[in-house]
Amino acid sequence: MTFGDITKKLKSVKWSHYIAYIVIIVFTVICMLSGNLKRTDIYLLEKIGISIILAVSLNFIVGFLGELSLGHAGFMCIGAYLGGKVSSMLVGSMGNGILTLIISVIVGGIFAALAGFVIGLPALRLKGDYLAIVTLAFGQIALIIFQNSNYETFGGAFGLDTPRYDYNSLYIIIFVFAIITIAAFQNVIRSKHGRAITAIRDNEIAAKATGVPVTQYKLFTFVMAAFFAGVAGVLYSYTQSKVQCTHFDYNYSIEILVMVVLGGMGSLNGSIAAAALITFLNEKLATVLTGNLAVLQNIFYSLVLILIVIYSNAPAFKNIREKYNFKKFKSLIMRKRDPGYISDDEGSWDRIPTKIKMDELLSVDISVQSDKDGSTSDSTGGDENE
Amino acid sequence: MKKFTKIISLMITVAVIVLAVVSCGGQNTSYTSKNTTFVIGLSGPLTGGASQYGIAVENGAKMAVDEINAAGGLFGYNFSLISYDDQHDSSRVATGYASMLEKGMQVSLGCVTSLPCAEFKTLSKADNVFFITPSASNDEIPSESNGYQMCFADGNQGKAAALYVNANYAGQTIGVLYTSGDNYSEGIYNQFKDNIDPSITLVSASFVDGATDFSSQINTLKNCEFVFMPIYYTPASQFMLQAKDVSNNMKVFYGCDGLDGIDTIEGFDINTIPQEVSYLSHFNSAATEGIAGEFVTKYTAKYGTAPSQFAAGAYDCVYAIYNAMKAIGSDKISVTMSASELCDLLKAQFDGSFTFSGATGSNMKWVRSTTNYGYVDKAATKYIVKEAD
Amino acid sequence: MEQIITTIINGLSLGGVYALIALGYTMVYGIAKMLNFAHGDIIMVGGYTIFVFMNATGNPIIAAIFAAVVCVILGASMEKLAYKPLRGASPLAVLITAIGVSYLLQSLSQIIFGPTPKTVIVADLGVTKIGNVTISNSSVLTLILTVIIMIALTLFIKMSKTGRAMLAVSEDRDAAKIMGVNVNGIITITFVIGAFLAAVASLFYLLKYPSISNTMGSMPGIKAFTAAVIGGIGSIPGAMLGGLLLGVIECIFNSFSEIAPYTDAIEFGILIVLLLIRPNGILGKKKREKV
Repeated sequence: MTFGDITKKLKSVKWSHYIAYIVIIVFTVICMLSGNLKRTDIYLLEKIGISIILAVSLNFIVGFLGELSLGHAGFMCIGAYLGGKVSSMLVGSMGNGILTLIISVIVGGIFAALAGFVIGLPALRLKGDYLAIVTLAFGQIALIIFQNSNYETFGGAFGLDTPRYDYNSLYIIIFVFAIITIAAFQNVIRSKHGRAITAIRDNEIAAKATGVPVTQYKLFTFVMAAFFAGVAGVLYSYTQSKVQCTHFDYNYSIEILVMVVLGGMGSLNGSIAAAALITFLNEKLATVLTGNLAVLQNIFYSLVLILIVIYSNAPAFKNIREKYNFKKFKSLIMRKRDPGYISDDEGSWDRIPTKIKMDELLSVDISVQSDKDGSTSDSTGGDENE
Repeated sequence: MKKFTKIISLMITVAVIVLAVVSCGGQNTSYTSKNTTFVIGLSGPLTGGASQYGIAVENGAKMAVDEINAAGGLFGYNFSLISYDDQHDSSRVATGYASMLEKGMQVSLGCVTSLPCAEFKTLSKADNVFFITPSASNDEIPSESNGYQMCFADGNQGKAAALYVNANYAGQTIGVLYTSGDNYSEGIYNQFKDNIDPSITLVSASFVDGATDFSSQINTLKNCEFVFMPIYYTPASQFMLQAKDVSNNMKVFYGCDGLDGIDTIEGFDINTIPQEVSYLSHFNSAATEGIAGEFVTKYTAKYGTAPSQFAAGAYDCVYAIYNAMKAIGSDKISVTMSASELCDLLKAQFDGSFTFSGATGSNMKWVRSTTNYGYVDKAATKYIVKEAD
Repeated sequence: MEQIITTIINGLSLGGVYALIALGYTMVYGIAKMLNFAHGDIIMVGGYTIFVFMNATGNPIIAAIFAAVVCVILGASMEKLAYKPLRGASPLAVLITAIGVSYLLQSLSQIIFGPTPKTVIVADLGVTKIGNVTISNSSVLTLILTVIIMIALTLFIKMSKTGRAMLAVSEDRDAAKIMGVNVNGIITITFVIGAFLAAVASLFYLLKYPSISNTMGSMPGIKAFTAAVIGGIGSIPGAMLGGLLLGVIECIFNSFSEIAPYTDAIEFGILIVLLLIRPNGILGKKKREKV
């Protein structure tokens, strides 16, 4: 292979699809090489990695399937407890190494995926508000069960003892898992399965009519998102010496939702950026805002939820949205019109450049020749509608 | 190709900038080498639902530090207190602990609440940082050799309460009200249950944290004259208010240090409760005599409210550290010594013949053994908040 | 026996509070077709209003009136600012906005009143004794009032012009618009009524459980929603029935010390199972899905 071939191949790669990986890999490598990160920064990086996994997996449900899950922290909780239990059992015989971590991550993920399957079952019959409430109820149930668990099995109210991984390398492992997560979701979303899932979001009945197996895809979405939330939970258990269920409360689910909404529903890169930003803010604002002012952070979150959702969904803001949006901004920078971008009214008749002179057309006397076929009224009706 | 190089260069710039922001400072094994004061660290909920505890601890500790500094400090050096807001969330503790280490923390008051303190315990064990917590009362907190408690451990409170009940209510039926899923309440309840005299019949009722309706629990307990309630004061006040509306035989409500502060709830008048309300604790906020009385007067003058046992515990913790360091002597103590060196000296001091008298008790001792971790050994007293009508 | 009777009476009086909240939920859900997550938080705002005016005047009636006014203004402005722009948008967007509003109200009240719970004794109505069983008068009053409100709401919707317009809006919003119904106005009125019911609920909630905190509305809110689902969402007698049923269930489970920790989990479990096997509840009507 010559150099020319390589550059040709590189050119054919759609680099914009891989921005997320490249940024994370470059960032992690620089962090690793610099070798003098402060401990507080390492802890922050761990949290950012976990948030990225959570936000991306929740975005799969909210942004791509179009259902609201308020129990994402519940999936994480199951992963953290089950995975943490496995790692604490294995650590005696296998040591606190990468193998133990991978096994417990898989086990925790599978258990969370099972929970996702159970929650996905109501999703087959329910949607919208009802489903949101079911996921909320599920999150609460998971919390209550672990909180009142036996001291020997899951540590009860005081939490489960889990091994803590060496913090100098854990953040790298977490970022590796974050990249795996992004790759998994991106591949699914860009496949025909992803298009089927977005078709369900846009119109379930139409999707069903086109032959999309709606039930299977809904279940699949919940299972996959829950699996990765569980993975995030196990990784979280490795950052702590105790897993305590109070961490996985309703507010935490909301926090993940804020990341998804801020990053843009249906945008993985947006979720990644928002997850990093929100986690960073969480850490830094806690030292800046003291006393009752600390609530300002929550007010900011709630305003993000309200304003962004209203802006990007309200029918009244449609024109503004089309005028100022990210895609248009991007194509402005790239000095290239994105052919994938079609504004909503681009297809309407007054926008289509036409050479037909309307006056001439209107002056022609159109007579319906009814003797040729009987269904003329239908066909003209069809024409009018188009 | 041009686009591609643009993106790559943009990304590298972003990564470098972020890295520059993130990693200014760099690893430094000796954070304490530049210290000009002895630095005490404190992690606690300064905001959010549990903030009243964290703020009380911070106030108490700050007051002790100010007093020591006003009196000339220790060996010519002042103390300083740094605190971190952990919001009663154990996932924040690691960051808070590391940031305090980076700021030169040499000795710590641990965490204010038990759940985060469990995290603090393992972190500080790895770096060998001495801590004595004023209020994280779970039995497991001082299990490592570098951890000590100023408050009573939950299990010991349960045992003490059981002894009191055995002595006064032998052969009777008594009620217990506890919070299920709460480590403090369950910790006391389990030890209480195990140590109670077999002649006593226990009727227990539980509720979950955040419960508002206590009618079922009242219905279960209404024939017990004596009700032991190892719970926090907010749900306790709700239980008492709702119990008033039901005819019952309850005469005594007896709790642990969680009830301390029940007479300070805004809008709740303890005198409208017909029963006797009392609790077992190490500190009486109505004290007028001794060190406790002095502390109450000074604290009230400074902060405008009567101190809770949290503030008193923190005040004592700072003074215990100060006295222990003073006893070690100026030849061994230096202001730039590392946390680990100081920890070894303090451990030897606390595990040895060191005794301390403060606002929360006199002649306190810390006797470490395999079953008795860094628990404090001091007298517990029953305080009556309100006599029976 | 006496224990059982007391448990059931306790359950009914707890259920009365749930029913009162559920009425507001079911009303808004039935007509505006949206789950108003912030309904519980309107109760919280009502509670704090009562707290402020009780401290200022000491008169429960004045406090209750102010609570009603504040809640109604809040409900109407919430609808105008947050929900109205989203009319016609996807249900997901409306739901997320409602969660945002709920979170905003909780945060705002925390910044104003602080995070520690406060106690407010609105009025001591005393107790009634029947044999060995005591019933607090506030519970009896709650039950009576819930029944009255239920009947009044049913009559209002069946008899009045506005009520029938509400029914029309709930059946088919577009068709109602074509028939000359002011859909936006009707939905605003629905929210105002819902907020007023929340204010009433906050008063009776505080009579029974005199503690206020910024999250006091969320748990009863979810429970009341469960009650509304049990009874069949959108059905006014269903909300009443579901509330009472849920209250009794909760009190029965709470009276066993071994089960008590799991009571909430059981209730949520009931909700999930019910939504799975009978999403329309006991009294709800089955609706076919349209394109």
